[in-house]
Amino acid sequence: MQTKRTIFPNKLLPYLLLAPQLAVTLIFFIWPAVQAVKSSFEREDPFGFKTTFIWFDNYKRLFADPTYLNSVGKTAVFAVSVTLLAMSVSLLLAVSVNRVLRTNRVYTTLLVWPYAVAPVVVGILWWFMFNPSIGIAPYLLRGLGINWNHRIDGSHAMLLVIIAASWKQISYNFLFFVAGLQSVPQSLTEAAAIDGAGPFKRFWTIVFPLLSPTTFFLLIVNINYAMFDTFGIIDATTSGGPAQATNILVYKVYADGFLGLNIGSSAAQSVVLMLIVIALTAIQFRYIERRVQY
Amino acid sequence: MATINLVDLKKNYGPVPAVKGINLSVKDGELIVLVGPSGCGKSTLLRMVAGLESVTSGRIEIAGRDVVKAEPAERDIAMVFQNYALYPHMTVRQNLEYGLKNRGTPREEIDRRVKEAADILEIGPMLDRKPRQLSGGQRQRVAMGRAIVREPAAFLFDEPLSNLDAKLRVQMRVEIRKLQRRLKTTSLYVTHDQLEAMTLADRLVVMNGGLVEQLGTPTEVYDRPATLFVAGFIGSPPMNLLSLESIAGASGFDGLNLPAGTDVVGIRPDQLTLEQPTGPSLALAATVELLEPIGGESHLHVRLNTSNQAVILSVPGRPDIAEGAAVTIHARPADLHPFNRESGRRTDTAVANP
Repeated sequence: MQTKRTIFPNKLLPYLLLAPQLAVTLIFFIWPAVQAVKSSFEREDPFGFKTTFIWFDNYKRLFADPTYLNSVGKTAVFAVSVTLLAMSVSLLLAVSVNRVLRTNRVYTTLLVWPYAVAPVVVGILWWFMFNPSIGIAPYLLRGLGINWNHRIDGSHAMLLVIIAASWKQISYNFLFFVAGLQSVPQSLTEAAAIDGAGPFKRFWTIVFPLLSPTTFFLLIVNINYAMFDTFGIIDATTSGGPAQATNILVYKVYADGFLGLNIGSSAAQSVVLMLIVIALTAIQFRYIERRVQY
Repeated sequence: MATINLVDLKKNYGPVPAVKGINLSVKDGELIVLVGPSGCGKSTLLRMVAGLESVTSGRIEIAGRDVVKAEPAERDIAMVFQNYALYPHMTVRQNLEYGLKNRGTPREEIDRRVKEAADILEIGPMLDRKPRQLSGGQRQRVAMGRAIVREPAAFLFDEPLSNLDAKLRVQMRVEIRKLQRRLKTTSLYVTHDQLEAMTLADRLVVMNGGLVEQLGTPTEVYDRPATLFVAGFIGSPPMNLLSLESIAGASGFDGLNLPAGTDVVGIRPDQLTLEQPTGPSLALAATVELLEPIGGESHLHVRLNTSNQAVILSVPGRPDIAEGAAVTIHARPADLHPFNRESGRRTDTAVANP
């Protein structure tokens, strides 16, 4: 049976139908992005009376600024750690769930809950648990001889935000890994078992390679998440401190722009972030289909 | 080279029994086919031998060694799966090598065996391709190759031909038979296709409901089915099973001399004739419903006038019979298989069976 095609002769109708989507895209995405790019080339006086066009001055200053370079470093540490931690823990959980087939619904449901928690709430939860004066974790750590205080110790603070951010992302990764694992045919692992591969060897030589599309997808998603979606967690737990120790790029945009009111620099920073996102997305689209094929 | 012994093997899924006590001894170099309808437990049985399913009770001995608690890898078996289970991310060569590498086989030995298997199966030119670049028949060969290179004590085949088209299936069936004859490796082969079972098997195990219905060579099973189930399952078109009442009034019935307890008689479609044979015969009046020409012979569907029961005849050539015509069909007493409906078994001399 052939699909029936209806043709509307009106030339305007298609544009009319597209208009709502175009309007949303223009007003909420394109316009602010253009504004950001424009602001990044300008300097504003303290009272907002006058803006001067200063070409690339904001960018030049930015890359000469040690706090900004420090922030780039912190972001790299943070993003890599969150991605590795969130992905490895979720893979471990997914593999475990995949082994117990009968109760896996219950596990899956429970493990997905953290994803439904808002980032700020996640931040508050972990802030509370690790609160140096009232939290349970520092209390227990003191028993081990560790004096936990993320308010004064930069590496403690970094550890805290990494744990909090990973915890939230684990559920998301977990869901994808479970789905990925379930699409690996059982007969392949059985064939490998007969071929003399133990459980670990089976996983690394058969299951993990077949999971690579999922893994690669999650890798990109997680880097994106760690770099751009963790604002709420940072804000609620450490607010970028102590002494810039957890001031990742996306938080610095906010801190410099809205707290420091240095709109030009903040805009330049957000343009840099925008370029990073574009690059990551390009990688995702370019390689996700090609590299991971088997 | 090994024997396989199954001793009172049972498998329950929770409270549901899937395999209800199987005894079977496979001789060295023999190809045994397990055949039965879906859900009869044949695949479960095979997977228990492979070590992929746990055993509820009973013993499995491969080459005289009890392997019930052994890992699949320790059983020295190779399995060919229904969906081939080729590792999709590896080339054909890597697929063949995988099992050998896992066992630490030396490089020269691996190369020798892979080359040998590739020559036997004529897959040499495909060694560097990925499974997805192969046709169904080629994948089937690679799956066989992966079993051959291991040089195992036994091959296990789990419906290996059911994903192939009809023509290829016949071709691969012949190849599997030749290969098994050549390598003389003890094999267990599961299928639901009775024709495949008949042509491949040294001995046939007909299974139903988790139990063995009959064990014997294909001709034994075909010529003397031990139970009503086997009679109806083996042979195409299936054996006609006629209740005694429906033939009681027919001419020649009194001379049949059926054993005590018989209430069903079976007769193969190709042993029913339209012409009266020489010697005594049973003659049944029937009406033609349909004539199916299938080439060299035709299937004639008729209904008995006495009981309205449907009967199929295989008749040579293409007889000129109109639908609705009255015919008389004849059977020689020697070709009748007497059964008891209650027990489901033959009522004449017992066959050597479970």
